[in-house]
Amino acid sequence: MSHIHLPDGIMPFAWWASAYIGCIAVLCIMLRLINKEEVRRKIPFTGVMAALMLISMSVPLGFIPVHMSLSVLNGILAGPALGFIAVFVVNIMLSLMGHGGISVAGLNTLLMGSEALIGYYVFTVLKRHMKPSLAAGISALAALVVSVALMLGVLAATIGVEEALPGHEQGEKGGGSNTVSFLSLSGWSAAAVILILGMLTEALVTGMIVSFFSRVRPDLIDAPAVFNNNRMG
Amino acid sequence: MHLAAVDYMAVNGKSFLHKAGPHSKILMTLILIAGVLVADSLAKLGLIFLFAAVLILMSGADLKEIFHLVVYPAFFSMVFALISMQQSVITGAKVMLRAIDAAMAVILLITTTSYVDIFAVLSLFLPGVIVDIFIFTYRSLFILLEKLENLLKSIRLRGGYHPLRLAFNFKNTAGMIGVLIIHSFDMSDRLYRIYTLRGYSGRIPLTRKFKTGACDIVLVVMSVLLLTGVIIKWNI
Repeated sequence: MSHIHLPDGIMPFAWWASAYIGCIAVLCIMLRLINKEEVRRKIPFTGVMAALMLISMSVPLGFIPVHMSLSVLNGILAGPALGFIAVFVVNIMLSLMGHGGISVAGLNTLLMGSEALIGYYVFTVLKRHMKPSLAAGISALAALVVSVALMLGVLAATIGVEEALPGHEQGEKGGGSNTVSFLSLSGWSAAAVILILGMLTEALVTGMIVSFFSRVRPDLIDAPAVFNNNRMG
Repeated sequence: MHLAAVDYMAVNGKSFLHKAGPHSKILMTLILIAGVLVADSLAKLGLIFLFAAVLILMSGADLKEIFHLVVYPAFFSMVFALISMQQSVITGAKVMLRAIDAAMAVILLITTTSYVDIFAVLSLFLPGVIVDIFIFTYRSLFILLEKLENLLKSIRLRGGYHPLRLAFNFKNTAGMIGVLIIHSFDMSDRLYRIYTLRGYSGRIPLTRKFKTGACDIVLVVMSVLLLTGVIIKWNI
């Protein structure tokens, strides 16, 4: 959901280079934390989850101009370490297909990786107290709120997105509440509605998928040790 | 997603670019992207575009597919180009051309080099776990795309999709992804067993010896010359 489709040459060098350094640092930490022997069995599944993420990211959500990423579900099923690595793989492959530049792949990994990490930990806590489907939905929403806030923060800090949105000049001219209608869906309000709809959709679908697992293959959800048998899980 | 078409062009192409080693093509792509990032004028960006376009033409790639692949980053850069056009039209054009140039450099690479060869070069720098995940992702992608297509067909045939019933569609989509994940889990288990039988011990062997021929030298020298020309401040 929080995948930035910025082509190369738009984001300032300092930002994307620092994001790459951050991404490599997190990858190194994750690779140190996993137990290589135990994780070997999970590598094919992580590859398959990454492929599913790639597919879901190429499917538009009808009238909502965003796409799902399933990174929270990936975090829940593959675990935080392999989940983060899968996100890195997905972003490099997407950039090789022209979906976002190679220079922003590091930043995209950090943003989407935060969804996998937050989603996994919130789900682990919540599923002890409520139905897995509800826990998955809430954890997906929480992770998406954080990652989307981070994405907007990065965009506003680097390229000044507010300049692009209609309605910006109205606010600047001092019209205030007299000129800007509460009901007019333009500028940030339109972006906010789209993002909220996108987040709710992804949270809903994540919850529904987990609900489907609870009915058909509860072992995937009820016995997470099978999937998260690394040191972090 | 144009993955199948890109893969077909990369594997079945016969041009000198297809014969060049993946290491030199990746190096050339990185040099071109560096050129895109440092280019400060429309003329320099135009030169990089021309260079990439000529090489794409020489590679014999399917131009219709290339056009589709270029349109995507061009569309996304348009928003930022419009922001920059508030300063000047040239700045806006530069933003757009930067995005197109970088995309063309990457497209040139992926339409002339198979993904497995790219992963082989990446395996020189990346840990085995990550490279293996790359390979499994690539392998699974085509299988899952086919499964997804079949699932979508059967959902439609059984009346599981209605344009106006959003909740109904969401429920069925979630079920479809759920089925796909369960299939994927079984598939990954099977893959693991097959690979273990073939001696998989945590690192898929890849050919890491890359021959450097005349094509490779020409490509790298040409791109270095282009980068030099882009960096130099011309007083014309």
